[in-house]
Amino acid sequence: MTTSLATALERLAAYRTNNTRASQETFEHGCLILKSGSKTKFGDDAWAFLEQLALASIDVGRLDIADECIRQLADKFPASPRVDVLTGIRMEANVSMDIVLQYYGQLLDADPTNAAVWKRRISVLRRMGKIETAVDELSRFLDTFYTDTEGWLELADIYTSCNQYTHALQALSHALVLAPQNPFTVLQFAETAYTLGDVPLALKMFLAVVDMSEHDVSTDEPPRGICIRAWLGVKLCSRQLIAASNNTQSTSGTVIPPLKKLKLIEELATERLLAAYTGQESVAGYVSAWLAPC
Amino acid sequence: MSYTLSATTYFKIFFHAAKHPHKQINGVLLGKKSAGDVIIEDAVPLLHHWTSLSPMMEIGLDLVTQYADSVGLKLVGYYQASDRLDDTSLVPVGEKIAGKIKQGFNDAVAFVIDGDKLGTHEAALIPYTSLSTSSSWRPFSGSPAPFSQNSSFKLALDDLPRRAVALVRDEHRHHKFGDFDDHLEDVSIDWLRNRACIPDAMIHGT
Repeated sequence: MTTSLATALERLAAYRTNNTRASQETFEHGCLILKSGSKTKFGDDAWAFLEQLALASIDVGRLDIADECIRQLADKFPASPRVDVLTGIRMEANVSMDIVLQYYGQLLDADPTNAAVWKRRISVLRRMGKIETAVDELSRFLDTFYTDTEGWLELADIYTSCNQYTHALQALSHALVLAPQNPFTVLQFAETAYTLGDVPLALKMFLAVVDMSEHDVSTDEPPRGICIRAWLGVKLCSRQLIAASNNTQSTSGTVIPPLKKLKLIEELATERLLAAYTGQESVAGYVSAWLAPC
Repeated sequence: MSYTLSATTYFKIFFHAAKHPHKQINGVLLGKKSAGDVIIEDAVPLLHHWTSLSPMMEIGLDLVTQYADSVGLKLVGYYQASDRLDDTSLVPVGEKIAGKIKQGFNDAVAFVIDGDKLGTHEAALIPYTSLSTSSSWRPFSGSPAPFSQNSSFKLALDDLPRRAVALVRDEHRHHKFGDFDDHLEDVSIDWLRNRACIPDAMIHGT
């Protein structure tokens, strides 16, 4: 694969900004840069690049490259908490989890405010299958570091994987308080509410996603990206609520829109989804059949 | 009763796992019963994102069922991969979906990918079966071991795992592969058929 250095540098910078975990690509581009010796052109970004390449190398199993990156970082930044965490992650690749937990424990004893180490320890506990301990620790972590949105999303994910959807919703509510502008969190909330069985709440949140994402879009443009999921959710929920008439319970006490409004919402969802599938003959047939009245 | 996975099925499961190595993935299997044996002809990938949440899964399953009808196949099984190498259990969501499939096809099977063995010459698929629609699913514990000589679980050709590795490593075929989650971001992605990732020779039946 021939990629110019400039392209590689750009790609890696974009991955760092978006926190993308495209480890194979990162590794390939990163090695190119490492070999060319042009790391110095990065300036201060050189160190973030080394950290990024170390993580990608661990992911693809090239511990030799990871070790080289970490060595350079440790030389430049002795006794750095950030390098300590990276060293821990490197250990996680091939050292026993008990020893890694001890290592993180020691770091936390020395500095209880090192949030990154605490999060690593929680993720190791989760990986070892010690779910209850992981949840306890994560809850204590979030008591201290309330504004860590990633922590709340992780907690929601752990609860969801154990079918504890109500607790997952509680964790997601905190994430929403911290990042109300993020339509993906609202979408996750909507899908979790549906999984729990609270269809009225799910409908409300799916509509919120649509509102956030299609706010500035003219109605001539078909829905894209996240809106397709959201409109599908709206259709799924409104159809069920119409079919159930007045026999739907909402554990959150969400008010169900009147039947007339529900039908209009369902119609709109159908229209938007058909618009999204214009020109996609190969699948449009199945989708139209799904959208049609039962 | 034997279960045979076609090359297309095996490659698609492999590509799905290869595309999302650090995530949970799942999908369904299409096939039919022929002379008392189950022939698994195709795999349709579903999710790699929020795999424990149900709305998109439900919609995906509805669409796959329609597609299966239209090509004369039935939903005969489910597959999943964990994000952890050492976790080969069938997750709760998987049991639920497999149970639903079993209601429509009594000999339904679920496969959990063995992350440790995937990429070797072994099939790296652990079959789970259940006695009835209401009982739990257990890993197949009979002998011979699945995918070994004379086992009731077979691949259509012995060298499929090796070929799958080559297709990913040398031709990056998994980049031409998309699941329902991918389709929801870009409706032009043909998640039901995924023809582009299958070598031409195979599509034309050789």
